[in-house]
Amino acid sequence: MTQIPLKEIMPHEEFLESGHLACPGCGASLSMRMVLKALGEKTVVALPACCWSIIAGPYPQSSLKLPLYHSAFETGASVASGIKAALLARGDTETTVVAWAGDGGTFDIGLQALSGAAERNEDILYVCYDNEAYMNTGIQRSSATPLGAWTTTTPGAHPEARPKKDILAILAAHRIPYAASATPAYPEDLLAKVRKAKATKGTRFLHLLAPCPPGWKTADDETIELARMAVRARIFPLLEIENGETWRITVDSPGDPIGPYLAKQGRFRHLKNEDIGAIQAQVDSRWKALQRRVAGS
Amino acid sequence: MAESKAILDIAHGVPPVSVSQTSTRVNKTGSWKYIRPLYRDRVAPCNQGCPVGIDIEGYMNLLREGRVDEARDLVLRENPMPATTGRVCYHPCESSCNRASFDQPVAIHSVERMLGDMALGKPAAPALEKRAESVGVIGSGPAGLACAYHLARLGYSVTVYEAESEPGGVLRWGIPEYRLPKAILASEIGRIRDLGVTFRTNTHVGRDVTLAERGMHDAVFAATGVHQSRELGIPGESLTGVWRGLDLLRAVNAGERPQLGKRVVVIGGGNTAMDCARTALRLGAEVTVLYRRSRNEMPANHEEVEAALHEGARFSFLTMPVEVTGDPREADIDPLRAIEDTFGQFDRSSEDPRVSAVLCARMELGEPDASGRRAPRRVEHSEFRIACDTIVTALGEEADTDYLPAELHGGAIRVTALGETSRTALFAGGDLLEEPHTVAFALGSGKRAAIGIDHYLRMKAGEAGADVELGELKLGPDGNLSMTRWRADDPVARVNPVNEVVRVTDLNLSQFGHARRAEDVLRPAWETRHDFLEANLGLPREDAMAEARRCFNCAVCNGCEVCLIFCPDVSISRRDDGKFDIAYDYCKGCGLCAAECPRGAITMTREGL
Repeated sequence: MTQIPLKEIMPHEEFLESGHLACPGCGASLSMRMVLKALGEKTVVALPACCWSIIAGPYPQSSLKLPLYHSAFETGASVASGIKAALLARGDTETTVVAWAGDGGTFDIGLQALSGAAERNEDILYVCYDNEAYMNTGIQRSSATPLGAWTTTTPGAHPEARPKKDILAILAAHRIPYAASATPAYPEDLLAKVRKAKATKGTRFLHLLAPCPPGWKTADDETIELARMAVRARIFPLLEIENGETWRITVDSPGDPIGPYLAKQGRFRHLKNEDIGAIQAQVDSRWKALQRRVAGS
Repeated sequence: MAESKAILDIAHGVPPVSVSQTSTRVNKTGSWKYIRPLYRDRVAPCNQGCPVGIDIEGYMNLLREGRVDEARDLVLRENPMPATTGRVCYHPCESSCNRASFDQPVAIHSVERMLGDMALGKPAAPALEKRAESVGVIGSGPAGLACAYHLARLGYSVTVYEAESEPGGVLRWGIPEYRLPKAILASEIGRIRDLGVTFRTNTHVGRDVTLAERGMHDAVFAATGVHQSRELGIPGESLTGVWRGLDLLRAVNAGERPQLGKRVVVIGGGNTAMDCARTALRLGAEVTVLYRRSRNEMPANHEEVEAALHEGARFSFLTMPVEVTGDPREADIDPLRAIEDTFGQFDRSSEDPRVSAVLCARMELGEPDASGRRAPRRVEHSEFRIACDTIVTALGEEADTDYLPAELHGGAIRVTALGETSRTALFAGGDLLEEPHTVAFALGSGKRAAIGIDHYLRMKAGEAGADVELGELKLGPDGNLSMTRWRADDPVARVNPVNEVVRVTDLNLSQFGHARRAEDVLRPAWETRHDFLEANLGLPREDAMAEARRCFNCAVCNGCEVCLIFCPDVSISRRDDGKFDIAYDYCKGCGLCAAECPRGAITMTREGL
């Protein structure tokens, strides 16, 4: 078999502690664990309000073995930029500064700070772990919530009516050196992208799909399988974009039908067949657009 | 969390920001869970599917780790002759391989053959203790050899009685050289002899010695196989030129090269028929196989039928012989015959009328019969004639059990789950039983009886109780008995083993990549049909090792660390012995480890039960 065993590519060092306060099966905590393994010890995390504000533990605890700075909801990118500037002022050019934000703090509330930092090409790694709603405050919809999904603010009778915001395209439009999507379901791909981002100077953006069992109404043990299905069904293609121009798909998405992916999740339970057809059509057209971008670059 | 530095930054007794002092490890989040993961090794389907009862998954895993010698020894624990079975076994293990649902089953037989060839000339681990009892084994086919091997390794003195001049039974006298080189067989029998087993050849039990003489032995294992060929039951069967399949194979295996003439008709659709057809091709004949049903119903192994076809045998399906017709011997008035005589094409030593043709009728398939196959029906007025010089019948065989006590005569012998007949201390196995007549089943029955005899003799000696927990000895609920489990000396470290078979739905196939199965190297048919050299050359060693790496290692933790990698709570750690610890103080019971485990080696159990 040509496949390299995972244990041979996954670093053994741990920067996440047990006893953190994520829900069972949390995709966000697993994302942090894997990303930090690839980044290593010389890392500082800037954290706007998000699920991770809780996962990191209440004062006086911390679930990270690295410095983590809690900050306000809209400030992920600017706090990270500030920490980087402070480190540089002290002569530290090595440490990677990570802004670690949820989809609310990225797609909605923190978007202007992120856009500003990206436009200035601040030397930070911005990671958005996307669980597709404001999960920490009680599953309110965000602009990352996918078409058709139930949230407490888009109840079954009026599910999410707008498609998910294309955050990678927005970042690509800033012409930042590196933007990519990844998920812990594909650890090899995720590690490679984090390492590439670490080695790149300027603003780097990673969009991670982090399934959320309580918010998606799924079983705790389905987190990885759902992320895998999202990739395979082309809902969440794994790609990377260099300088906003070179688009590349890094893991093949065979194009499984989206029905089984939606059917696994309680937040899509109200969907009728025609709704699923409409979502499939949207996934297909986005995939075609992506193919054109890949082909054109 | 550099506490000391933070404190140094304190101005006016108040830190500029609040800084964490402890880790979250003070939170015992394990109290949240209501189900908990448990490492529990189960049984791979190939192990259950192997009639010999070999720990196939176990040796595949050792090979994957490069522990080749240990893999070889693991095979030899259950199978006395892996070089033989790697060649002639029809590998039911591969039919149960979970990988078949993913791409193609692992070529287990090729890997076993490699291990068997590497084991040639290597001794089997001898008995640790010598026992006083002696056991007689009647018949030195695969069942007898297996029984003798295992009993010798358990410390008994074993004598094998063999009517023929050399041991091996069907392996020596039935299976042709091109499928099983006799040197390989001799080497594997040599390994059994080296364990101290005595072989008394040219000794026909019932004629040269009687079963009554078994007073010499504390127990007897009978495995004399089946030799009496079923008859066609049609006119002309006794004409010169009608061979019984086993007689032909025996003659050729004895080194004879009988003259069969130009056109040979083989009657039958089983493996013996295929052996006869391919042997007749090698003797220079044109061969037509007659079978009364269609190809789908043929009991012969698919690979054997393919090989016969490739070598040029023709098949006439839905064809039943109704009469063998012969020519009166009138050589003098047939100039062509006279010439053929001159060139010795025919054996004309006898003046009996000789076969000249077989009259056949067409058949059609009706409703399924008791065997589940569609029963053939004769089509009226469909008779036709096939001219031929020799007819070989291969219609199956029956046992000759005259030497056994009268109550065991007639039909297959019934035995207990440990191979014992209705007669105390008399055990039976191999083709005498109502089991598929294959080498693998015979080897398995020999091992079963060895366990049975060991138990019986220990019970007699007051060392064991009457009850045997059979369920625990089987590889899976339906598998054969494991000698390793009987001896309770498994070299493979197992975690909370459960005797359950893992199905493909228990696996996480996403963790595997596709890889093509390596196919055996076959000599071209245009070459093999002219000689008796081995036709299937097996796999080159590196390909066989790659096949071992294709194995999913179903049901048994092989330390792949997928569980550890996907644990969101960093609660799984690797121990020095390669196994894993779960920190239940922190495990929240999400089940991701069990869901992502590629091989179904983790089970979620109810908390507190």
